[in-house]
Amino acid sequence: MKVLTLVMLLCYSFAFSSGDTTIHTNNWAVLVCTSRFWFNYRHMANTLSLYRTVKRLGIPDERIILMLADDMACNARNEYPAQVFNNENHKLNLYGDNVEVDYRGYEVTVENFLRVLTGRHENAVPRSKRLLSDEGSHILLYMTGHGGDEFLKFQDAEELQSHDLADAVKQMKEKRRFKELMIMVDTCQAATLFNQLQSPDVLAIGSSLKGENSYSHHLDSDVGVSVVDRFTYYTLAFFERLNIYDNASLNSLFRSYDPKLLMSTAYYRTDLYQPHLAEVPVTNFFGSVMETLHTDSVYKAFSSKTSNNKINSEMPLNQLSEHDELQKANIQNDELKTEKQKCPYTQMRVDLHKKLEKLENVDTVVNLGIAVMLLVVMVSSSLL
Amino acid sequence: MASLVRSWIPLLILQSFLVAVAFGSKEAEQFSEALLLKPLPDRKVLAHFHFENRAPPSNSHGRHHHLFPKAISQLVQKFRVKEMELSFTQGRWNHEHWGGFDPLSSMNAKPVGVELWAVFDVPQSQVDTSWKNLTHALSGLFCASINFLESSTSYAAPTWGFGTNSDKLRYGSLPREAVCTENLTPWLKLLPCRDKDGISALMNRPSVYRGFYHSQRLHLSTVESGQEGLGSGIVLEQTLTVVLQPETTSVETNMQPSWSLSSLFGRKVVGSCVLAKSSNVYLQLEGRLGHESKNVDTEIEAHKLWKNADFDLSLKPDRVLRESSGLLFIFDIDKSSDSEPFDLGLNWKLPSKWSCQQAPLQASRFLMGSGNERGAIAILLKATESQEKLPGRELTDGRCTIKANIFQIFPWYIKVYYHTLQIFVDQQQKTDSEVLKKINVSPSTDKVSSGMLEMMLELPCEVKSAAISIEYDKGFLHIDEYPPDANQGFDIPSALISFPSHHASLDFQEELSKSPLLSSFKEKSLVRSYTEVLLVPLTTPDFSMPYNVITITCTIFALYFGSLLNVLRRRIGEEERFLKSQGKKTGGVKQLLLRLTAKIRGRPIEAPSSESPAAESSFLSTKLIFKIILIAGAAAAWQYFSTDK
Repeated sequence: MKVLTLVMLLCYSFAFSSGDTTIHTNNWAVLVCTSRFWFNYRHMANTLSLYRTVKRLGIPDERIILMLADDMACNARNEYPAQVFNNENHKLNLYGDNVEVDYRGYEVTVENFLRVLTGRHENAVPRSKRLLSDEGSHILLYMTGHGGDEFLKFQDAEELQSHDLADAVKQMKEKRRFKELMIMVDTCQAATLFNQLQSPDVLAIGSSLKGENSYSHHLDSDVGVSVVDRFTYYTLAFFERLNIYDNASLNSLFRSYDPKLLMSTAYYRTDLYQPHLAEVPVTNFFGSVMETLHTDSVYKAFSSKTSNNKINSEMPLNQLSEHDELQKANIQNDELKTEKQKCPYTQMRVDLHKKLEKLENVDTVVNLGIAVMLLVVMVSSSLL
Repeated sequence: MASLVRSWIPLLILQSFLVAVAFGSKEAEQFSEALLLKPLPDRKVLAHFHFENRAPPSNSHGRHHHLFPKAISQLVQKFRVKEMELSFTQGRWNHEHWGGFDPLSSMNAKPVGVELWAVFDVPQSQVDTSWKNLTHALSGLFCASINFLESSTSYAAPTWGFGTNSDKLRYGSLPREAVCTENLTPWLKLLPCRDKDGISALMNRPSVYRGFYHSQRLHLSTVESGQEGLGSGIVLEQTLTVVLQPETTSVETNMQPSWSLSSLFGRKVVGSCVLAKSSNVYLQLEGRLGHESKNVDTEIEAHKLWKNADFDLSLKPDRVLRESSGLLFIFDIDKSSDSEPFDLGLNWKLPSKWSCQQAPLQASRFLMGSGNERGAIAILLKATESQEKLPGRELTDGRCTIKANIFQIFPWYIKVYYHTLQIFVDQQQKTDSEVLKKINVSPSTDKVSSGMLEMMLELPCEVKSAAISIEYDKGFLHIDEYPPDANQGFDIPSALISFPSHHASLDFQEELSKSPLLSSFKEKSLVRSYTEVLLVPLTTPDFSMPYNVITITCTIFALYFGSLLNVLRRRIGEEERFLKSQGKKTGGVKQLLLRLTAKIRGRPIEAPSSESPAAESSFLSTKLIFKIILIAGAAAAWQYFSTDK
């Protein structure tokens, strides 16, 4: 009897745990550019590059929530109206003819972002502005902008804290809004944004570690500003060689980041994500490739499922072309004026730290500090 | 089995016949496309795309559409929209050079950004709810932040100043809204051929958005069928007006630039949209040649008209129409194909000059005053040259007058003082009763509703200029209400100046029921013009200030309470005794601390403490107080001198 109950319990627990292994039903992408103003052109180009990639790999427009904080394409400063480029060769117009922006301008706020994630909208909000994912959805969340230690700035006016993000993800998980979620962030100190995440089935990748900056890749002298960030540039370099039928794994994507080229260390947080990265194709998140369920009854012609499902974890296309790619990139590096755009916070801290290290006479500094503090107290009290 | 089939066949035939009859009896859905090209006097070219889609009245629920966009018909049904117009515009219409008294300008010269107005067919109490839901639906449909118009601070309910008299009308505009490809994409998706075929294939995004002015408009109106049981039909009119600068190689400045469709848009028309009932291209030449020959044989004359000493067209027009102010060449693009694309070109041979018909008064608006506290808004109406010639003058009490309506919305943070309204006619101040015929004011409520001003002026015909000024105070916003780029300033939406007794229409004296574009021109439209958007700088706080204040306050509190606790709790005598007993065993950190405290108190470390602690502390405090007073004095003096500057 005891054995039976044990077996039943086991079965039950197994059934319970496998409750969330629902079938992958659809793919969604939430792409967010959080920066306003013309000099942040590259953030919009980053987002639009990802938009183009996921669209090319099969996610339809109605399942992409695109948030752009400013209008760069028809900006008065844009020499090329209705066009956005992510490379100075201007071969590819990211804006294209069929772009659909769901949230733009002043609408891109932390509140709206969290509302999209958690699905808590006003009744009147149209479907195209909602993330209508279900428990079988794979969601790609891409964010780019200016950030710092555990925060990401929205439009230079407000911040998304790592706690907010973690809470939103937790709520999404509880509401069964996703099966798997991948968060990709290209900002300074991106890794810190993932510190508070606890929900399972979340994979996070950031462009830089704590204390590191994310740099822009190159400056386009025709457009007049930097047009793409390094992390996104090399992500795109990886995806440009793929099509929807390739089975490159996430592992090969993650291994394609070279800290020397990025000038920062890409960080992945995989402890919340069970599957082995070498077995997960990138199209799980960056494309929409559905698993086909066979019924043996009528159509028997194509049974290529087994061959299709094999995942090349060994960097399928990379190995061949990586060498010359690297060389190309290096040449590019030399040619292009790499502009270092540091985050102001880290820069200030580093400067202060250096100055402090140079000081020898600690006592005088402390004394001076106290004197200044007193002065400040006096001034503030006299002002009040 | 065979017999069964045989018995079914006549039934099927009968059924299909019935269906055909049912369809035939009803009016079918119609779509037509047209493109009007018009050279402008200032060496630019206007291209006006016009698409009309008509859904006939039918039983409303669960109806199927062949051509008509489902999204729009659902919108109309759900929100009971009677009439609606949505426009996306960038650039400013140049009334002087591009015309101000023709149907094209009165309908398509729109204010910058997004403008939306709608008339609903719902009870008065539900109008606002319908409006809010409509704005959200449209924002989803057209990829724009039209949903910002849902807040009651951003829209108004004009009574008569807007030209449409209805108490179920709502009007709102967003001057700051960007207009780009993402707005055009969904707009094109409403067309049956999208941008794949027909005239809309010309819309190359970079060429359209490079223009001086582009306005994309969607106007829909419901047509009551009048029959019982039938719903209402919908007429959807979509227009895109672009003003482009043709690239020119000639150095002569007075020579009009020659152009062709492919040079303007970088594309050619390869056949019409097969779903369209009519697809025509029109070329309108204004102000010239119209007078030359009146009653000549049309066939010979047509040839003369399209190839003459002044200019020639690259294609032979199918028809030529005349109007009092100019010529209209009509081309049918059905004949064009992949091998023979339709690429209309206009080649000027001689320099030519003409002018456009202008509205009786030209309006401009500007701000007066300086500083961050108050200011004044002025609207200036200047008489144009063509004023004398225009019809529509009225005689009131034996005087000839021009009527002008002014409709203006003020955001609540522009607190207008309506009693300061001043009207000047030809630099002389007039009392309200002299020129002001009607006025309707709805004052704004802080953070609740926007203010609205409707005025009807009656000016003498010989007026040279009229000016209206009104003063305002600038309000303060809550810190959360500032947009991220608050330093740029805040926009006051365009004012609308309309002339109720003037109507523009173009009549080409022909049976034109076929062409929706020309019949829309034939209808008399109210002459109206929008003024500029004003940019008002408001006092904006330094947004980093709260953080600075918080950090410095926290630091000061921490220091204050930390030292207070230290003073209250610490027993110095005990500690020193303890240290002495410890001798040289004290650790490096403690030594440093000790030295530090000693230095602060200003006495050597090893000095024996013979005095009592109380005396010491009082001595210390007087010294400290003296120091504090000194520093405070210095700070006060510094502040005094610094603020004095």
